[in-house]
Amino acid sequence: MATDVHEMRGEPEADWRAGLSDDQLKDVLYKLKLCRYFDERMEALYRQGRLPGAIYSGRGQEGTHVGVAYALRKDDSLFPTHRDLSAQLTKGVDLKRVMAQYWGRIDGYTRGRDGNSHIGDWYGNRTFAVISHLPIAYPIATGAALAYQRRAEPRVAMAICGDGSTSNGRWHEALNVSAVYQLPVVWVVNNNQYAYSTPNTLEFKVPTIAERAAGYGMPGVRIDGQDVLDVYRIAHAAVERAREGGGPTLIESVSLRWRGHAGHDPAKYVPKELLDEYMQRKDPVKRFEELLVARSVVDEEEVKRVQERVERAFDEGYEFAQNSPFPVAEDVTKGVFTDDGYWQREPSREGGTG
Amino acid sequence: MAQVRVESGAAGHGAEPRGKRTEAGEATYLIAIAEALWEEMERDERVYLLGEDIGVYGGAFKVTEGFIERFGPERVMDTPIAEETIVGMAMGSAMEGFRPVAEFQYADFMTSGFDEIVTATARYHYRTGVPIPVVLRAPSGGGVRASNFHSTNPEPWFAYAPGLKVICPAFPTDAKGLLKSAIRDDNPVVYLEHKWIYRRIKEVVPEDPDFLVPIGSAKVQREGTDVTVVTYGAMVHQALEAADELAQQGTSVEVVDLRTIYPLDTETVLNSVAKTSRALVLYESNRFLGTGAEVAAVIAEEGFTSLDAPVMRLAPPHTPVPFSPVLEDAYIPQVSDIEEAVKKLSAW
Repeated sequence: MATDVHEMRGEPEADWRAGLSDDQLKDVLYKLKLCRYFDERMEALYRQGRLPGAIYSGRGQEGTHVGVAYALRKDDSLFPTHRDLSAQLTKGVDLKRVMAQYWGRIDGYTRGRDGNSHIGDWYGNRTFAVISHLPIAYPIATGAALAYQRRAEPRVAMAICGDGSTSNGRWHEALNVSAVYQLPVVWVVNNNQYAYSTPNTLEFKVPTIAERAAGYGMPGVRIDGQDVLDVYRIAHAAVERAREGGGPTLIESVSLRWRGHAGHDPAKYVPKELLDEYMQRKDPVKRFEELLVARSVVDEEEVKRVQERVERAFDEGYEFAQNSPFPVAEDVTKGVFTDDGYWQREPSREGGTG
Repeated sequence: MAQVRVESGAAGHGAEPRGKRTEAGEATYLIAIAEALWEEMERDERVYLLGEDIGVYGGAFKVTEGFIERFGPERVMDTPIAEETIVGMAMGSAMEGFRPVAEFQYADFMTSGFDEIVTATARYHYRTGVPIPVVLRAPSGGGVRASNFHSTNPEPWFAYAPGLKVICPAFPTDAKGLLKSAIRDDNPVVYLEHKWIYRRIKEVVPEDPDFLVPIGSAKVQREGTDVTVVTYGAMVHQALEAADELAQQGTSVEVVDLRTIYPLDTETVLNSVAKTSRALVLYESNRFLGTGAEVAAVIAEEGFTSLDAPVMRLAPPHTPVPFSPVLEDAYIPQVSDIEEAVKKLSAW
């Protein structure tokens, strides 16, 4: 079942803003710049030895992350990977608590039980707490979607994984099951061309991931992850299609992972010409900023103010994280089960601010 | 204990319909399980079943026969053969307010959904505080000539994963009361039925729809004074038979049925050992690092001053479950093996 991508798009010129208002376009710019700045600053702190644990940069893929997450409503659910923190921030996750998590503090979303971008805010923003074994959340997203379908709620589940995850059996299972039951779910593959060091050519034989959708009986769309508005446009169409009972869609959004798999990886296996092409000519943040200036939605002054807001938010988050106490050691065994009520209480905070 | 041995067989595929209670009100283990599911589905519309061949066909062992007619295909969901997704789907729907009960056709196939069980479902609450009320049901155990891939006792794998409660009932009443507790529990529960017991054991089972057996509580199934046998599942019945034989020879055996593997009721175990001073730990999971290894360690560590003899283990060797009756009987502890082990302990 080949889907004409253009059916999901409006007339190019008339629909250049993908149905978004000026305020929404500015909001998208803020989110893109926030995600980029957060990513760069956290890497700098990591390199300085000031950030414990690991970092998984999503730089260069903000067009995908912000574009797909912006298509979701607050009560739609998002099942991301460790590289998709930008999608979680777009959905509304609190930067302060994210940063508290990176420093192992009690105000992190997992109360110090998990680190880095293994974050979720299920009750606040309906984001699933990331699990490393990708695409482990794909099957779980089918369950959330099943719940919406059963209760006839106009809600949608969206799951993100990378190109490498498409080699895993669960990817196949989940897509197949979602099509069999016509579940309200959108499958996003952030094809950043490398799974750790493994290129697309060693992950799959078909020319594109999107065309696999036909094998499951659902539409598949391949889009340019550098173009946040086009990502949003297609994601929004897929989300609304699912919301109206039209079933699942597979979206392959193509970009390049600018940094290594994690902070320790210099990613020398990525050809320099490829990296240069993406970083210098296909930067999704820069490209969107230039578009908004060219379309007179913002001027240079306003771009500067957006950047200042971003930096302020980061600094506030950093301060908050450093001042948040550590969890108390005695609580290490609490909350394995619901029975002890640990998660129903405010956590102990006498761990100091070391 | 009002128990009667009924028909043998029930190795699996194409088993006869589950039938009903006898006129005297006795229910087999299998019927007791079906009653628990039925009652909880009547009680709470958030409860639904999913699994392979459980709807139209009624399940490989016919536990859910007749359910689809009463509750419909949305609450008795036939799924594709996709164990990771069966578990994941259960988890995701539980996060959105449902209370799923997923059936594995055999406990052996739980390994096909292992990651979603031990990595996703088990650990989620500890990491986030979001309750995951999922029950994973599976027919486990050997002794029915079902061979290698249809006879496993995987309870140690799941009891080892923090965040899972693991139940292995031996009697119809416990099977019913514990399954109802599992469905009402806000945590993920692995509920391992024993297929050898399904149609062999029946007893009068409470009909009160709110009859529950608490998770995490062992039970003394037979009182005795000389030797404690700590066991669970089908081995409870072997132990009781051995105890009958040994009583005639003058040895009084106390049989402790763990009923729940995690959380382990160490108090009941230690109280019994304090009384008898001798402990045999009998189990059907493999001897090496099996369930009884932990029980034996607890007795040695916390009950040392009560002991007049070393804690002894009786369990299958470190091999897969074999098929040929000669081999399988050599693999699974027999009544005669239990008698021999108890005599050895008594001689200390």
